[in-house]
Amino acid sequence: MEAVYNDWRVVLLSPWPTWLLVLLGALAVAGVVLAARGLRKERSGVRKTVLLSLRTVSMLAALFVILEPGVRLLQTAQVRSRLAILIDGSASMQLPTEAGGTSRAAEAAAWLSRVTPALQELEANYSLEYYQYDDGLQPIEASAAVGGLPSTGETTDLLPSLRALTGGGSHGGRKLAGAVVIGDGTDHGELKAGLGGATRKALEGLKIPVSTVAVGGGAVKDLAIEAVVVEDFAFVRNTVEIEAKVAASAMGTLDVPVVLRREGQVVSQQSVRVDPGERSYSVKFSFVPDEIGEFVFTVSAPVYEGEAIASNNSRSFVLKVIRDRVRTLLVVGRPSWDQRFLRTLLKTDPNVDLISFFILRTPQDNPKAGETELSLIPFPVQEIFDRQLKSFDLVIFQNFAYRPYRMDAYLPNIRRYVEEGGAFVMIGGESSFGEGGYDLTPLGEILPVEPVGVAPNEALFQPRLTEAGLRHPITQLASSAEANQAAWARLPELPGLNVTRAKPGARVLLDQPHLTAGGENAPVLAVGEAGRGRVMALTTDSSWFWSIVASGEGGSTSRAYERVWSNAIRWLVRDPELTPVIVRASQRSIEPGQPVFATITARGSDYGPAAGAEIEVSLIDAETGNTLRKERRSAGVDGTAQVELGTPQAGAYKIVARASLAGQELGEGFDVVAVRAASVERSDVQARPGLLREIAEVTGGGFVEASSGQLPPMDLAPPDVVEVGRAKDRPIWDRFWPLVILAVCLGGEWVLRRRWGYP
Amino acid sequence: MDRRATLRANEGTDPAPGRARPRPRPGGRAGTSRPLHRSASWSLRGIALALTLVLLPAGEARAFGETSRLTFVQGRYDGNWNPRTSALRRLAFEIGTRTSISTLPEEKVLDLDSPELFRYPFLYLAGTGPLPTLSQAQTDNLRRYLTYGGFLLCDDAGDGSFAASCEREIARVLPGQEAGRIPADHVLFKSFFLVDQPAGRTLARPYLTGFTEGSRLAVVISANDLGGAWARDELGSWEYEVAPGGESQREFAFRLGVNIAMYSLCTDYKDDQVHIPFIMKRRR
Repeated sequence: MEAVYNDWRVVLLSPWPTWLLVLLGALAVAGVVLAARGLRKERSGVRKTVLLSLRTVSMLAALFVILEPGVRLLQTAQVRSRLAILIDGSASMQLPTEAGGTSRAAEAAAWLSRVTPALQELEANYSLEYYQYDDGLQPIEASAAVGGLPSTGETTDLLPSLRALTGGGSHGGRKLAGAVVIGDGTDHGELKAGLGGATRKALEGLKIPVSTVAVGGGAVKDLAIEAVVVEDFAFVRNTVEIEAKVAASAMGTLDVPVVLRREGQVVSQQSVRVDPGERSYSVKFSFVPDEIGEFVFTVSAPVYEGEAIASNNSRSFVLKVIRDRVRTLLVVGRPSWDQRFLRTLLKTDPNVDLISFFILRTPQDNPKAGETELSLIPFPVQEIFDRQLKSFDLVIFQNFAYRPYRMDAYLPNIRRYVEEGGAFVMIGGESSFGEGGYDLTPLGEILPVEPVGVAPNEALFQPRLTEAGLRHPITQLASSAEANQAAWARLPELPGLNVTRAKPGARVLLDQPHLTAGGENAPVLAVGEAGRGRVMALTTDSSWFWSIVASGEGGSTSRAYERVWSNAIRWLVRDPELTPVIVRASQRSIEPGQPVFATITARGSDYGPAAGAEIEVSLIDAETGNTLRKERRSAGVDGTAQVELGTPQAGAYKIVARASLAGQELGEGFDVVAVRAASVERSDVQARPGLLREIAEVTGGGFVEASSGQLPPMDLAPPDVVEVGRAKDRPIWDRFWPLVILAVCLGGEWVLRRRWGYP
Repeated sequence: MDRRATLRANEGTDPAPGRARPRPRPGGRAGTSRPLHRSASWSLRGIALALTLVLLPAGEARAFGETSRLTFVQGRYDGNWNPRTSALRRLAFEIGTRTSISTLPEEKVLDLDSPELFRYPFLYLAGTGPLPTLSQAQTDNLRRYLTYGGFLLCDDAGDGSFAASCEREIARVLPGQEAGRIPADHVLFKSFFLVDQPAGRTLARPYLTGFTEGSRLAVVISANDLGGAWARDELGSWEYEVAPGGESQREFAFRLGVNIAMYSLCTDYKDDQVHIPFIMKRRR
């Protein structure tokens, strides 16, 4: 039976190679050109035309014969293209289309149900493929699409899904004619900020029309803290500005109180007036943090009746409060070289903000001049030790006698200041320690040393680095113990010290090897803890020898003085890098359902890694103080341990770690983490039909609202036609007429040339 | 601010009642600013001294040792290095009397290349003629001394040639620097007293010159024979007349000396913001 051919096309059946055909064609053209040249001088236009025409027709006839044209009969079939239908399966589709309405997912299913007949008509030319998309693409059955999707995806990212459609797989060689996207338009991926240059190009690069169907265009009642704009860190005692972006939808007119809390404590409160015509509001807070550390703050607004989402009414964030400079108060009893070198050092240290007061004249001194001839100012005792004391990170008394200035009433303030986290240093001299009468005062209670009732000793001595001082951060002049020991031994001898003994719990870092007090070598440098604060006692007034004398007599610049004081200040103000236990959360702000991870680093009393230390880690609710979880770990060789602390609910948490080694407490550290109240997907109620409309415009697709119940206008490419099976060639060159034309034209030209006198 | 506290606490005034703390008297010398005549009887002085010693209670606080106090070092060199032998002693006394600084009554004498210099960060150089060219050892030592925190006061007791030579030599000690005029509003002139002019025994040059190390004035050079105004013999007589201002100029010379000592110890303390309003008010 003859095959059914339903298509044809013209083909060349000549067996000769292409180059030969081209050459012959060129010869034919040359034949016409040469004839035209030969007829240039012919005056008769008629003759010229006739001869040239005969030559041209004969060349064409010759070519026709040479090329052997024919007709190829074909049997073909039409292949259906693909049409992808993408349905939004993210969590935002669970939101109602309007207040009290059905869910967006239900509206999408209803639309699909209504357009099913129209889709079936398209199936004649297009193969329909159904997909669910959120942050990825999953193929689904048509029945599942029409029946309604569960919509649980935690984020929406449409653009990668469209790329996956156009880029992946051969699909049996069938091309993608277009896509239809049904969703609410929310996107938290590449299209989060709408269509920009790059995303626009990406959509155009798909080279298919994307038609869109918008669901959920109605107003949904909701109030949300959309975002909080704040720097990652703030400086203590400096004003911090925080901006909360509030979104309101279908809330009517309302005064909404917005509260900023730090771990349950109200820091600041503002009110914002919400109006129906406005959607976005900015609420600004400013406050001054008075404590360094990392804290979880929460911005929240009340939850009103009928709101679509309650969990987006608060948002937590972590703010790190750091010290910009160490604010230091230096009070000096009398000018001396010891004070001179210390002040110069502190004044030139960019990390120190120094306030100093020197007693330049005592009541016994007689300047022999009137007050107006002096540059002296009153010593503002109450201002400093009552009002301003807490503003300092560190207070230093250098050979300062408190009694003449009636400071008895203020010494308890200083003790309380230290116990609440401040730092205090007493430097020796004839007015310090017991000689200054401090032993029976509140300051004496917090000092790490106490007098023994012996007068200051003026003998020259070489301070000795103790076992505790060998690795203590303050007395680290070199990295290894041997080098550190050698560095201290090279320093000059010191003349004189206040004779004291260390109290229980104090650490003596340097001592006088030839002088005992209370059965132990007299301390030269001792440190201790008092409440939450730290204290240091330097019982000599000659530490300045470690500067100019060490440099001058040592032959080269000595940095010992600078290092000791720099180390001391860092230790006294609890530089985080010097704490024995450091806690670092892997993320400070995590999504709900994500686990909390932390790394704990423990250092021994010698500040080396505490390998094998026992670490107890607790996850504590920052607002209630309740411990939610405890884990125990052993530190590895490098002193670190990793721990997972479960998946707590939304809120602010502290991760507190305590470490001990061989029964000895090493210390405690903490970090903070905020668990978001809701994922971005579940807290953003606003549908974005505008984005869907733009996507359709850019790609050449159509747009409709789901409520229209219609398919969007789609300019789809027609299906491809492909050859199937047989083909048959029928030559047309082997008819008689081309040869006849060739002969007639050639012969006629020859005859006329002869007649008209051409060779 | 509590007014009572203000009145009491004038950077150290008014001790608690009933506790007038006796003052240390350096060297046990009782000093007054009025010169005693050579004809005053020895017995009178002896009685005064005895009374002072009797009345001086024991057990008051003293600085640990000499390095805890301000100790002047007189620099020794080849030349007339000590033209005003009693000047520093008298200045130390005045400083100890007028301010809270604890001074050692006797100065120390050290060579300019002595390593011991570093234990005494205040060096005084005086002369009546040009300072001889410093040796390499002296230059190196002084350079390190000044760079590491030392302070130098050069005092010309002659015709100005000592001051000029000091400026030349210190420029070698501190390469890349030249002597500069110390401006009238420099903190040196308000470190304790409010001083308007750098007078000494003379007012040959109405300004001081100096060299800085960083922001600190490390060298001060006077051409006005400060020591000549300070010098006082053991009988209590001023050794040199002061001109043109007479005894009031001598008082200003002492005030400048006190200021220089105070500056060497406190540097720019009086330039701290907290002091400025008070100083401005008093200067008006």
